[in-house]
Amino acid sequence: MAEYYGTTVADIFKTQTERFRVEGAEGVDAVFAYDISGDGGGRWKVTVRDKKALTEKVDDGDLGDFSVKLSTDAETFVGISIGKVDGTEAFTGGKLRVEGDMALMGVLPRLFVKYTPPGGGVTAQDVIASLPERFRPDRAGDLEAAIGYDITGGGGGKWTAVVSGGKVTVEDGLRDDLSMKQTVSAKDFVDLVLGKLDPMVAIGGGRLRISGDMEVAAAVPKIFAKFEPKGAEKGPELIVLKKTISVDMRYATGPVMGRFLEALKEKKILANVCPECGRKQLPPREVCAVCRCRVDDFREVGPEGTIELLEHTYYASPDPLTGETRETPYGIIHVLLDGCSGTETLWHLIKPSDLGSAKVGDRVRPVWAEKRNGSIFDMLYFEKVD
Amino acid sequence: MTQKHKKNRNVGIIGIGQTIYSSHREDVNQPEMIHEAVEIALKDAGLTIDDIDCVVHGNMELFQMVQQPDCWHTIGTGAYGRDQFRLTTGGTTGATLVAASDNLVASGMYDIVLAIGFEKLQEGHTTGGITNMADPLWGRSLQTGALTGATAGEMIEEFGEDRAKRAAMRHRVIMDKHAVLNPNSHRSFGLEFEQIDDLMKNSPPLVGELRLIHMCSQSDGACAMIFACEEKAKELSDRPVWIRDHIAVHREETFTMFSSNKEMRPEITQRYAARKLFERNGIGNPVEYFDVFEMYDPSSWWGMDWLKNFMLLEGDEHLKMVEDGEIMIGGRLPVNPSGGVVAANPIGATAMARVAEAALQVRGDAGKHQVPGEVNHALASGFGGTFWTVMTMLEKNLDWQEDNNG
Repeated sequence: MAEYYGTTVADIFKTQTERFRVEGAEGVDAVFAYDISGDGGGRWKVTVRDKKALTEKVDDGDLGDFSVKLSTDAETFVGISIGKVDGTEAFTGGKLRVEGDMALMGVLPRLFVKYTPPGGGVTAQDVIASLPERFRPDRAGDLEAAIGYDITGGGGGKWTAVVSGGKVTVEDGLRDDLSMKQTVSAKDFVDLVLGKLDPMVAIGGGRLRISGDMEVAAAVPKIFAKFEPKGAEKGPELIVLKKTISVDMRYATGPVMGRFLEALKEKKILANVCPECGRKQLPPREVCAVCRCRVDDFREVGPEGTIELLEHTYYASPDPLTGETRETPYGIIHVLLDGCSGTETLWHLIKPSDLGSAKVGDRVRPVWAEKRNGSIFDMLYFEKVD
Repeated sequence: MTQKHKKNRNVGIIGIGQTIYSSHREDVNQPEMIHEAVEIALKDAGLTIDDIDCVVHGNMELFQMVQQPDCWHTIGTGAYGRDQFRLTTGGTTGATLVAASDNLVASGMYDIVLAIGFEKLQEGHTTGGITNMADPLWGRSLQTGALTGATAGEMIEEFGEDRAKRAAMRHRVIMDKHAVLNPNSHRSFGLEFEQIDDLMKNSPPLVGELRLIHMCSQSDGACAMIFACEEKAKELSDRPVWIRDHIAVHREETFTMFSSNKEMRPEITQRYAARKLFERNGIGNPVEYFDVFEMYDPSSWWGMDWLKNFMLLEGDEHLKMVEDGEIMIGGRLPVNPSGGVVAANPIGATAMARVAEAALQVRGDAGKHQVPGEVNHALASGFGGTFWTVMTMLEKNLDWQEDNNG
């Protein structure tokens, strides 16, 4: 949805009904139609009758009967609504057109309270200036850091917030010895602080750049309390319930997978072989999905093999079996063990210290855990064979 | 050759409703969010909930950790007092909902079916949820959601590092240029082609050469669609969109089979499904036949690679289509005028949104992201599970049957 002056057309109509002033509506019976062109535009109808206001979006078709209709582009509409564009001038210049009962235009200001954007008028400087008072020494511990703010574009500037001795001071300009620096436009910075822009979206789209010590970067949201724009009207705060679900699970392995896992205890890797097509399955599966028959014949394969696929994984995701976040980077491999062919690969991990040098085609062997209990990590990982 | 589906009667799409897709829907709970889509779809069809014979509901439990959410959601779906089914087939859920509705109506069981796909991914952990699809005895300790750099690695090897990376990022920018035109998009950055070099280098890597900017979002949102038998569709709608055919292809339950030699691997389901579907519908040249294609593209690398498979292309034809802008709105075969899955991914709704967006294109109702010219033939795809594929063919006119539906 296109934003103008940080506000969308939809924002204004969404709040139309709550901005209604009953006391101003005595004797008013009118339908206000809005035809707003351009990015983020659309058609809306506001009906004022019996001291009530009803706002509707008209998605298609025509606006039907109206007392007065306003036609303009989205940018002009938002500008007028929040007081950045002079309505009379827009009307004179032909940017705003009015059809029907013109006199009703004069009634509008007493029917609706003027729209004010949430946190409207907040500048990057306001946010930076409030850092010392928002600092939470209880959460910062003994952190010592120089945090650089390189805020670009109109309303931007360069500042350094120095965290030292349980206090924060703000200096103009960027220090040479910054622990971490964020580079972002003034508009995006304010939107991020106000929660209107998702940080992952900003980082993903290259609009927010963070360089330097990532631990400091991760600490910043914790060591400063949330920015509260001065004088902003607070909407009703909706409750969000936070839950952590933790359940002990027990999974049966069955006689086929169970036999494979049992063999791992003896440092043996067993594939099973389809009696129809002859392909081997690793780990063994009860039937061959292609031939739809039971597969009871087991054969020992490996333990050495060749890497067929190596995935360097940088994204830290939770392990659903433990709830712990996996340490990154790690290397996922598909290994063609000796005695296997084609796509008969086994899925496992590469030894962390081999991740930098390992490549497809390398020979690898399993590194066995000292204590083995019949699970995937009876093999810690595969390592390169020199 | 797979058998053509035997339909007792034709099925038309007569109502479409989508919420905005967003990462900030804390203003509504799940049934409230679903109800938004249901209300829009009913209004679009000019119906009330009393006109609906059956409700089909779908998403994946593990994303929100709500078992049987259809119970809680009854107040939002309008299922009270009528037949309801629930489906959950991973990423393909939305496409399966469409396929099921097609089956339910075509069979004669119900005249009017309402299908709803939804997800509120911000309420849980998406990658954790997807990782749970792998078997707990082995793969779950290894899988990283739907993230893989394997396709990127192969395309780099096949087409050269610079060309492959550049084409993938061009694909991403094209999708964003489309997303900017779609008011429902969760992510529309306003990316420009001039940013390609910068993004290739600076977007954070997730797995191998799969970078954050390439990957789909985690969105909240719902999509609802209303399906009617031919008689009702003609009576209730002046422009129903007809479902010509659908195909659903599954493969083995595991990711553990792989070979660095492509020749060794079984045919990828995208190509297998496309081949069968086009063969049985007598479509020799899909790029020429279809006027628009809404593809479930979880990442730009897959979006580009699968274009080759879905359109039965050879060599580097798919790269050329991206490089020459042929997949853009106004191009030879516009792909994802909506912005696609990289722009919005409320998973249980995602594959349905592909069909919904394709149907809006056929109707000419896609607004700012409407492709120019008449859209007579549209294609939508869904992706999920261990490389499952669902494809849906839509038509503007009921004119394909004389020669092909024998």
